[in-house]
Amino acid sequence: MISDITLGQFFPGYSTLHKLDPRTKLILSVAFIVAVFFANSPVSFLGLLIGVLVLVKLSRISFSVVFKGIKPIIIILIFTALINVFLTDGAGEPLVDFWIIEIYTEGIVRAVFMALRVIILIIGTSILLTYTTSPIALTDGIESLLSPLKKIGVPVHTFAMMMSIALRFIPTLVEETEKIMNAQKSRGADFTSGGLIKRARALIPILIPLFVSSFKRAEELATAMECRCYRGDKNRTKLVKLEYKSRDYIWFCAVALFVTAIILLATLPYSIGYSGRLLEIIFYKI
Amino acid sequence: MNEYIIKTEGLGFTYSDGESDSLVREEIPALSDINLSVKRGEYLAVLGHNGSGKSTLAKLLNLILVPTVGKIYIDGVDVTAEDFDEDGVFDVRRKVGMVFQNPDNQLVATVVEEDVAFGPENLGLPREEIRRRVNSSLSMVGMQDYMRHAPHKLSGGQKQRVAIAGIIAMRPEVIIFDESTAMLDPMGRAEVISIMERLNREEGITVINITHYMEEAARAERVVVINDGRLTLDGIPREVFSEVELLHKIGLEAPQGTELVHRLRLAGINIEGSSLTEQECAEALINYLSGNRK
Amino acid sequence: MNEILRLEEVSFIYSKGTPFEKVALNKVSLSFEKGKITGLIGHTGSGKSTLVNLLNGLYKPTEGRVYLDGVDIWENPKEISKVRYRVGLVMQYPEYQLFDESVREDIAFAPKNLGLTEGETAERVAEAAHFAGLSEELLEKSPFELSGGQKRRAAIAGIMAMRPEVLVLDEPAAGLDPRGRREILGGLRQYAEAVGASVILVSHSMEDMAHYCDNVIVMNRGEVYLSGEVGEIFSRSEELSRVSLDVPAISRIARELAKSGFELSGELYTVDGVYDAIIKYLGEDKR
Repeated sequence: MISDITLGQFFPGYSTLHKLDPRTKLILSVAFIVAVFFANSPVSFLGLLIGVLVLVKLSRISFSVVFKGIKPIIIILIFTALINVFLTDGAGEPLVDFWIIEIYTEGIVRAVFMALRVIILIIGTSILLTYTTSPIALTDGIESLLSPLKKIGVPVHTFAMMMSIALRFIPTLVEETEKIMNAQKSRGADFTSGGLIKRARALIPILIPLFVSSFKRAEELATAMECRCYRGDKNRTKLVKLEYKSRDYIWFCAVALFVTAIILLATLPYSIGYSGRLLEIIFYKI
Repeated sequence: MNEYIIKTEGLGFTYSDGESDSLVREEIPALSDINLSVKRGEYLAVLGHNGSGKSTLAKLLNLILVPTVGKIYIDGVDVTAEDFDEDGVFDVRRKVGMVFQNPDNQLVATVVEEDVAFGPENLGLPREEIRRRVNSSLSMVGMQDYMRHAPHKLSGGQKQRVAIAGIIAMRPEVIIFDESTAMLDPMGRAEVISIMERLNREEGITVINITHYMEEAARAERVVVINDGRLTLDGIPREVFSEVELLHKIGLEAPQGTELVHRLRLAGINIEGSSLTEQECAEALINYLSGNRK
Repeated sequence: MNEILRLEEVSFIYSKGTPFEKVALNKVSLSFEKGKITGLIGHTGSGKSTLVNLLNGLYKPTEGRVYLDGVDIWENPKEISKVRYRVGLVMQYPEYQLFDESVREDIAFAPKNLGLTEGETAERVAEAAHFAGLSEELLEKSPFELSGGQKRRAAIAGIMAMRPEVLVLDEPAAGLDPRGRREILGGLRQYAEAVGASVILVSHSMEDMAHYCDNVIVMNRGEVYLSGEVGEIFSRSEELSRVSLDVPAISRIARELAKSGFELSGELYTVDGVYDAIIKYLGEDKR
């Protein structure tokens, strides 16, 4: 069922990660992304993997939920990994040379690294941001980090509010899509057979009701917000005031160390050659 | 302080051309010549069938729609006056809270307490005060244990209670419930009704319940019936529901007991007394049958 | 008994094997009579909505079997869409399924998917519109121009147009005023009799059950709590109140009368029934 998708959802809780300031988490995520893109050796990936596992553990979100989150992108992952395996040229002898297929060590290394990179990236940022940060806190964080832009006339508050509402309605719309699909299935609609055009046409009975009800929701929500005295950020206060606590500084230091370590591991001159050699050794042994 | 928290004079609303036919906007029924005064602390039900104009009235009282004719006074202030400005509108909305039909479409935040805080945040209250109000409002509707929950995981009745808490947190003087029970199951409806009545009784909040369920209307202190955009009946439930014929004509019903007694009377059986509640109805019937047995 | 649908030891578990596992139905055995209107009642979470989705094959039972006219509907999973034509399901708030340019086109969606010819489709649309009480004029409008009640009826017509042997409706009158309720529920008997179909009506309203159904099934916590003819179910008010359900107000009034020694007889669960019973009682008394 579609509603089983956990990517982008928030899981309320009281873990260390939940308690961190959203701005800290945003900055840490950026640092984390940088680290992921630097990583290019088995050791650096191992380090990242351990880092991610520690994050998951600290968030107290179950591993099964986290893995469910990456389920929807697995097909894309496998596909791109295969392309990497088949299309990467290597310097040495191909490992497999059959008909037009040539597989080089470099291809495998690149495919594995690429897949790891995407998985680590998604799990890491989801754990740091969406899973443990309520969308409102997240947008508060973004709003606060971007607030210098207000001075040059960027409507930061409006964008933040739009984003938080979008996040709030994702589960509602997913549920609704499922309902409409079931309703049309009950009228004999078929979404799974036929060519591309037929399938695309089959989506019309889903998309139109979905659009219509989304507009209706949007209008009702806008009315409800107005009734609750919403008028942009004019004189608006916040329940949760963002404040860096000692916890945040500790995390800054820890992550700074972690990222530096990863970058060091990745940029040490031997690492690329080293990882390639390691795989070669493994394959020759086989 | 003004005796009437809400007062309308010759209030009317009609469409200007071209406004009604949007794809998603549902037709808003017109209203005409509504003269309605609501006393402070009153528990009023507005009864009418779907499309009778009863929700239009709610939207006018909250200044979501602008009346085409007539006057509205909120707490003695003419809110339809020409020089009435944005800050005035803001003030009206703080005083007159609204709870809508679809609980999903009025919750803004992804965590219950953040949603309840939304109104007070817009009012620009200090943080400690927002926190106090969030806590007290949630316990008033019995949802304090769900503070950190995600609203989309709650039942319809629970969502509606959170929505009510979000309104209470603004400390309004009036709460208008615009068909707030229509999408709920019987348990959810009972919860919302009992909260409504408690707010009226214990907190002294003026409650206006807009509904098409006559069982709900029968519980109010006063019932106003709207049909085709006009105020058709206005009185205590006992009077209003004795007009069984009229209610039928405008597509409404009276409670089952009242219907039964009405039909028996039409058949020439002269049952005396009121039959609004089940108790009264049973007593009236027993009295008649005992008298008849003699 | 002449049955159309039968459930045998049906269980349904949501998200089986995950921490969110939830048993919605627990070994439910049931049967629905041909040509009858059966009411399905129970609180939210009693399993009645799950049950409805199992009847037309939207959900597959975790355990147990569903028989339609004696044949297991999951015998050939590839043919499950055929079951959906035979057991028509009107979901909650079905107006959200409307999408086509005109009401007529929208009602024709299912017959077209069934592969009927244009002539047959037109005939089905006319028939369904008739049962749902939609005028010719409304058929030409865009579904988005209709009022709430009309939209609801158009959506129901969209299912009736498949001429299903079993018509299942999940709270078809939710949120409608008394007139809207009557317009929708009144057409069901007409449909059942004209097509020779059975109707399964999910509702929260005991009054509607009393008024429109022949049989009633009461669900509680994923199990069948009570099942039988309307009169029989409403005579068991104590058992109903044990699961926080109540008999119609009129039945409670009749019970008060009985307590005071005025034993009425007849269908003491509708206003009509009690009215007739009192008239009869007075007549006998005078004699």
